[in-house]
Amino acid sequence: MLNAPGKARMVTPQMAAFFALLFSYPLWSNSVGLYDYLGLEIAIFILYALGFNLLLGYAGLPSFGHGAFLGIGAYAYGLSQIHIAQSLPLGLLAAVIASAAAGGFVALFLAHRRGIYFALLTIAFGQVFWFTAMKWHSVTGGEDGLLNVLRPRTALMSLDLSSNVTLYYLVAAIVAVSTLLLWRFVHSPFGAAIQAVRMNETRARFVGYRVWFLKWCVFTLSAAIAGFAGGLFCLTQESAYPDVMSLHASGLVVMMTLIGGGFVSFWGPVVGVIVYFLARDLLGAHTDAWLLWYGLLFMGVMLFEPEGIAGAWGRLVRHFSSGAPTAAETHREPAA
Amino acid sequence: MDFLLPHILNGLALGLLFALIALGFTLIVGVMEVINLAHGSLFAFGAYVAMVIIAEGHGEGISALSWYYELPLWTRYLSALVIAPIVVALLGFGLEFCLRRTYGKKKEYGLLLTFGAALVIEESIRLVWGSAEQTLTVPSAISGAFIAGDMIYSIYRIYAALFAAAAIGLVWLFLEKTPYGAMVKAGAHDGEMVRALGINLSRLQLLIFGLGSALAALAGIILTPIWGLRPHVGVDVVIPAFLIVVLGGIGSFWGAVIGGLLVGMTVAMTGAFASDWSIMSMYLLLIVVLTLRARGLFGKKTALES
Amino acid sequence: MQRYKRAALIGATAVCALIAGKAQSQDKPPLVIGLTSDASGQYANSGAEERRGVEMAIAEFNAKGGVLGRDISTIHIDTETTPATGSRVAERMIARDKVAFLIGGVSSGVANAISQVAQKYGVIYLNTNSSSPSEAGENCHRVKFVWDGNGVNFSQAAVKSAMEAYGPKWMQITNDYVWGHDTSAATKKLIEGYGGNVIEDILVPQGTRDFSSVLIKVQQINPSVIAAAVGGDDLKALRAQVSDLKMGSKYAWINNQQDWADVYGLPKESLFGVFGTTWYYKLDLPGVADFVKRYQEMYPDTSMKVPGNVFFNGYWATRSLLEAVEKAGTTNSHAVIKELEQLRIPAETRMQHHDAFMNPDTHQMQQTIYLATANLDNDDPDDLFKIVSSAAPDTVMDKGSVEACKLESFEDTPVYEP
Repeated sequence: MLNAPGKARMVTPQMAAFFALLFSYPLWSNSVGLYDYLGLEIAIFILYALGFNLLLGYAGLPSFGHGAFLGIGAYAYGLSQIHIAQSLPLGLLAAVIASAAAGGFVALFLAHRRGIYFALLTIAFGQVFWFTAMKWHSVTGGEDGLLNVLRPRTALMSLDLSSNVTLYYLVAAIVAVSTLLLWRFVHSPFGAAIQAVRMNETRARFVGYRVWFLKWCVFTLSAAIAGFAGGLFCLTQESAYPDVMSLHASGLVVMMTLIGGGFVSFWGPVVGVIVYFLARDLLGAHTDAWLLWYGLLFMGVMLFEPEGIAGAWGRLVRHFSSGAPTAAETHREPAA
Repeated sequence: MDFLLPHILNGLALGLLFALIALGFTLIVGVMEVINLAHGSLFAFGAYVAMVIIAEGHGEGISALSWYYELPLWTRYLSALVIAPIVVALLGFGLEFCLRRTYGKKKEYGLLLTFGAALVIEESIRLVWGSAEQTLTVPSAISGAFIAGDMIYSIYRIYAALFAAAAIGLVWLFLEKTPYGAMVKAGAHDGEMVRALGINLSRLQLLIFGLGSALAALAGIILTPIWGLRPHVGVDVVIPAFLIVVLGGIGSFWGAVIGGLLVGMTVAMTGAFASDWSIMSMYLLLIVVLTLRARGLFGKKTALES
Repeated sequence: MQRYKRAALIGATAVCALIAGKAQSQDKPPLVIGLTSDASGQYANSGAEERRGVEMAIAEFNAKGGVLGRDISTIHIDTETTPATGSRVAERMIARDKVAFLIGGVSSGVANAISQVAQKYGVIYLNTNSSSPSEAGENCHRVKFVWDGNGVNFSQAAVKSAMEAYGPKWMQITNDYVWGHDTSAATKKLIEGYGGNVIEDILVPQGTRDFSSVLIKVQQINPSVIAAAVGGDDLKALRAQVSDLKMGSKYAWINNQQDWADVYGLPKESLFGVFGTTWYYKLDLPGVADFVKRYQEMYPDTSMKVPGNVFFNGYWATRSLLEAVEKAGTTNSHAVIKELEQLRIPAETRMQHHDAFMNPDTHQMQQTIYLATANLDNDDPDDLFKIVSSAAPDTVMDKGSVEACKLESFEDTPVYEP
């Protein structure tokens, strides 16, 4: 299990470290060769990957078409800004509603599926959404994307969101609150029920869980979070593009989540997203073949440390604190 | 009917080609329960290796091999048809050695390992051969066109469809009529049983993965003269293969063949009447079929569902 | 970080310095140019070709002492033929690498994404090779300059003569995405304007690899001319299949632009129909042979033995920009934009048949448009094209883009002085 229900603490060392990193980023990023915009993308993808891991790590449902919901959120945000009103709350609300609706609809077809059939149907639906975004150019702008979604001038407390730093703090705050909520969620009885489904669906059904409904809920929730992240992404980029919905992009979030160790830790996706974005930015400036190295890294992880970086770290911690379980360990029992 | 007939024939030919694409994929997933996402990259790699062996306008630089370049094109083409799948099978062996570490763990690990391998193979192709479009030259006997009635037909397409049908037949014979085939089928149903019978299961798995990879390469050599050859051509392959196999039902040989024909026919028919939907139609077909029949047309329950 | 950044810059400058054959001057900071060409995805090969063009122009400037006494260095990051990556790369290059200018783009999606970021900061961006009409139309920007001919220019050049030569019964094959639709709509308007009619417009989705049903329909309809607006990898597949059926010579095909990077190395027989280009390395004009020689001296190991239109656009975009900087005497973005807006290059300098000039209202370079077919007259594998006609820029102007383009005012464009 990823975590034992009921034992959740409000704040753990990992969470404190994550928040410290998240909020201090603009203070030190420039001096280590990073930049504010990269922080924005990383923060948004952390939210996306954390939501995705509800499905992959907690419910054990491998979705290979999750980019569709990120994209739907982004388009919904953009369309609401262009056609209704320039307002941040409105845009984010539209993003969540649209992606939750799409996710809820797709989940109707998926919720009684498992394993490969589940995975393949997510690919098929993902492709249909991607295709629609490309084809429906009068609404989405096709492959050019939905452009000129200007950042609202005064969103909250008259912040100037055109500055990447200001926007970063706003996004970081949103991501932090969402992370806290997700943390509470996975430690709730509902979170425990979802994990019970992953461990053994038949038994879960036997104990009285409505498995179908649980799976429907977690898929819809995960899609809504992806859409929320998509709304933030559109806010940041001032555009919505179809490429995030492609199979390739959907595959990348699976890779990020697993490299980080989403199967064994709540924080796995966070680590995975950071590693991916830094690798891309730092290696990508040196070599066009950086995906070769990333692919090799990924193969190495799958071969030697399939529980990802978080799994390796957990083992390391256990190794050095043999006997006395640390705070880290109580929340990170290895997956079955 | 005059309008429809060419489209139906075309759909049939296309279906056979799709079935050929899915053949190696279905073998591996049926027997080993590994979803080989590197299938498309092996397809591309096979075509590139064949290009080097055919050596039309390439490779003349190696003077020690000048006798080889002077061989007639069809000799070089036939050697490519034999050698390239063997080379790719060797790569498949290597991949299977890696995959072994994931057996008995979560099924996703195997799938993701092959996803990583797909990235690595594609990027390596880019490094070695560059990003430019390449051509796979075929002997003149199987290229060109002929006119029948008032339509032009491609000789190569007919050759490719017949080749696909022959490959399907050979794989079927292998599975049904040889002792290896019996072992493979037993392995697909019950690994423990195979071991109990004293068959070396890991050697069997190695063999199957190699064979699946060789079939991917063969499909690459047959299809790239039609689709063109570029490093990311594999992306166009792996999804249809995956889709066809699930459509037909995982583990079912004839399911994959019929799935391929069905996809070919669907694509050809939407191509004729609503061509802008000709790609989307594949996915819609899959959603419809899987909604009506949970395990595809001929699928049985497999471990991949858990 | 500093050391890392240095390493990237030095690597790039070293190449330039080596070619220039001189040590770089140390008194002023180098001018960094960010190259945003695709290195993966379906435009990877074009991206590499245009990058060579940009680098040759930069090397020539460095050889004569840089620009305004500053050496020019470059940094390149792959934009992956993905708009979201384009945004990030542009943000990174401006914020972290402090680039002076951004150059490079083949995919219109990527070019849009970059130009939107560039406009926000006031950084000049050169869209070297995206031929989508929307680039200098509804998606134009004050900071963006477009250097390739677009789909409308090529249609203008081709439709009238094809109508006269082959007749009024047209069929269109259109890639079902924005570039395809824009180009196809413009072509259709012209066809109807000249009294022809489009019997059927077949839409093919992006990502189509099998054109067999389309080619069957072509035969069933039997048009006199087929105008294809099919791009990227789809066109490569179409080309292979048309050539296999020998349908290229049976019908009159009008294709849009064929980028050199997409056709170089292919057998000549596979090129079909008439297609557009902005330049060819065997144009019989003064300076062309020397230009080709300079290319071959700088890139002796490249598999592409001669430069093509993609290289040409990359080279001229960069050279014109640097000349504008010199003329303005400053890197101040507003001053350089104003210089570029008045840009006029005589035909003999530009190595085309007509003078080229920048349209100040759309920021698209107006240049000679050539029509070409496959050259089956000789065995030289590099000599792929036979130029059939050339059209002066004002005869092939894209009037639609002038109406659609609304450039931001200078007041709304931040001043950027690297």
